[in-house]
Amino acid sequence: MTDIHTPDVHTPDVHTLHPEPGSRPAAGADAAASPVAITVTGISKWFDSNDGQQLEVLKDINLAVPARSIYAILGASGCGKSTLLNIISGILKPSRGQVCINGVLAKDFTDWRTISYMFQEDRLLPWRTALRNVEFSLEAGSMPRHERSARARDALQLVGLNGFEDAFPYQLSGGMRSRVALARSLVQQPSILLMDEPFSRLDAQTRSLMHQELLRIQQLKHMTIVFVTHDVEESVVLADRVVVLAPRPGRIREIVDINLERPRDSTRPEVTRYIQRLRALI
Amino acid sequence: MPTVLEDKIHVRTPPRQWRFDLVLQRFALVGIIVAVWWLLSLSMPHFILPGPPRVFVALSELSASGDLWLNLGITLGRVGTGFVLATAIGLPLGIVLGSQRKLGEFFEPIIPVMNTVSSAIWATFAIIWFGVSNGTTVFVVFMTAMPLIITNVWQGTRSVNADFIELAHTLRMPDWKVMVKIYLPTILPYFFSGARLAFGFGWRVSLVAETLGSSSGVGYRLRQAADLIQTDHVFAWTITLVVMMAVLEMGVLRPLENYLFRWKKEAENA
Repeated sequence: MTDIHTPDVHTPDVHTLHPEPGSRPAAGADAAASPVAITVTGISKWFDSNDGQQLEVLKDINLAVPARSIYAILGASGCGKSTLLNIISGILKPSRGQVCINGVLAKDFTDWRTISYMFQEDRLLPWRTALRNVEFSLEAGSMPRHERSARARDALQLVGLNGFEDAFPYQLSGGMRSRVALARSLVQQPSILLMDEPFSRLDAQTRSLMHQELLRIQQLKHMTIVFVTHDVEESVVLADRVVVLAPRPGRIREIVDINLERPRDSTRPEVTRYIQRLRALI
Repeated sequence: MPTVLEDKIHVRTPPRQWRFDLVLQRFALVGIIVAVWWLLSLSMPHFILPGPPRVFVALSELSASGDLWLNLGITLGRVGTGFVLATAIGLPLGIVLGSQRKLGEFFEPIIPVMNTVSSAIWATFAIIWFGVSNGTTVFVVFMTAMPLIITNVWQGTRSVNADFIELAHTLRMPDWKVMVKIYLPTILPYFFSGARLAFGFGWRVSLVAETLGSSSGVGYRLRQAADLIQTDHVFAWTITLVVMMAVLEMGVLRPLENYLFRWKKEAENA
């Protein structure tokens, strides 16, 4: 009888890979000790619109992202969050202000290959196998082929895709394709990973799996992550700190520290409180 | 990794099986054609319609004397040369016209005009310029094949995905690598279908060119046999050509295409 009625057995932690779940301080004490990875100072950006007027997309953005932290840039669509990410990555030039990467001004920065960019779409080359797609990230330089291939294999293993090296993209499901794209961003062993709504096209269940994977890998590799999202829940589950942007022109409305242990179950009340608070802001 | 199990992998479509009944059908079709031919030939003089046995004898004579292989080789050599030249010029030209918008707009009308010019006209010009020589056939094949290759490559260049270019830019990939790693693989299927068309056309027009301006090659021998009313030889040459094209198509081009574009064909089936 007693066996049947075992009271509330401790549910085994799924995240056994987290050595000390959530104990990592969110951009707090750790941030003071670790160097700043990205500094954004007084960034504004405007585009010339068709009727000859200037459209201001970003206005006076200031940010300092400590190394090894996870930052979310949260905002409704059209608030300039992707533009901000593109400016950080160096794809776009700001109209005013400057970006520093690891303390170096963007225009003097040369080591762009230590920064990875993950797009909203997986952008896998359909004529390449998973392995060759991952290798693509290493082909800008002059790394010998066998080394590229060995590293790509490791990256695929890291995202849990060993055995699928020779599969073409069309043979993979959406979640697996997303994993290949993640492996492609990780294979160059970046110190900074920039992500533009990378999981927004996945179904809810797969997205949450990818979140767990990303956190596990971040614990392992300690890169700085800045990601853009319009999904409040995603920002709360992943980020140490959420930067909320207000639209037209995009400017920082508020910066919210998420002081919660990981894993963060979005049904738990303390997590929900953050979600509600952020929802009110955007 | 347990999470992977939650993802499903699509099953690879199985390669087309050798179907015994299909092979049987093909043989039956050939049998019927030969039988009709044979029946008809019985009621006609042999210089109008020679029967299969007669043609077979002519074929083995031509083959035994080496005549068949020599002329086939000569014609194939000319088609090959014209085709390689058309590729060497058409491929880069197609890429340039496709990637440089202004240039493309300016030259756009030329291609359809070139495509509509009959190969008989090219052959006439070729005789004026090159006389009775290899150059005549090569020129005609070249002029016929090149616009086809340009058109297809042009189209391929337009279909290059800007997202992939942006991806390469975030990796700071140099321009020539973007060309090789993104442009070329995108264009390749277009180029291949253009080249295949060009080769088929080139082969056909080469015969026309050879009848008009050559003293060797399959086209020349065809006309010679017709002039001498050796109708069995005309049939023998024709059958050789048909068989050769079928072998090239089914034995070389189609398997090559299936292999090169396995990512594409299967993606369309999936």
